[in-house]
Amino acid sequence: MLLIRAIVRPEKKDEVLAELSRAGFHAATVVDVVGRGKQKGIKIGGIVYDEIPKSLILMAVRDEDKDDVVRTVLAAAKTSDKGAYGDGKVFVSPIEEAYTISSGAKGL
Amino acid sequence: MKEIIAVIRMNKTNAMKRALVEAGVAGFTAAKVLGRGKLVEDPAVIAERKERLLALAGDEVEPAETEQLVDGFLDGSRLFPRRLFTIMAYDGDVPRIVDAIMQANRTTNKVGDGKIFVLPVLDAVRVRTGEAGDAAL
Repeated sequence: MLLIRAIVRPEKKDEVLAELSRAGFHAATVVDVVGRGKQKGIKIGGIVYDEIPKSLILMAVRDEDKDDVVRTVLAAAKTSDKGAYGDGKVFVSPIEEAYTISSGAKGL
Repeated sequence: MKEIIAVIRMNKTNAMKRALVEAGVAGFTAAKVLGRGKLVEDPAVIAERKERLLALAGDEVEPAETEQLVDGFLDGSRLFPRRLFTIMAYDGDVPRIVDAIMQANRTTNKVGDGKIFVLPVLDAVRVRTGEAGDAAL
């Protein structure tokens, strides 16, 4: 089981979630966050903005679904064919156990 | 060392905090999040939840508007608010904490009680003293 953390543009959040749902991955948690990337933020007219608002999407997926989910997120979060700085990042980390609270069942 | 991520109902926050203190782990980080779960397929569960949710609406709200909102929650087109807890724990405490979380957050609604994930953590450092590893927890 894997935890996918995708940082995407807030305006792309709905599109990414819709595409994920269409691809069969419905469950997700969304957090509004601020941050900066490798480009050290954006410089506009002498002012550096380094707390850029983003949406953080958390998803727990089965190992075999990882590539599908990552591909779906990447395709939906890009702002053009080439992509642009600020489109975001996807991180994948391992989950050892998962439980559903209502049933106590182990697993996704 | 493990990271326990729990997504729970907003109104269970206090019960959760109490349960964590009783389980011996007072420290946690919490955030307001939006989310959605697996799609519920059982029509009986959906009908029951819809009835309960519609009953919560006040008189001053248009019934049609309420119904649209509730339908959005149940058919998965709308995200709903939840509380996300992050708890760092020693390996041996994890089963006890997971049990405590499940006990505190279970309701009779059959759906929407939340999920718990357990992730490995490689290291932790206490900022004040610079202690690392298990001593930092």
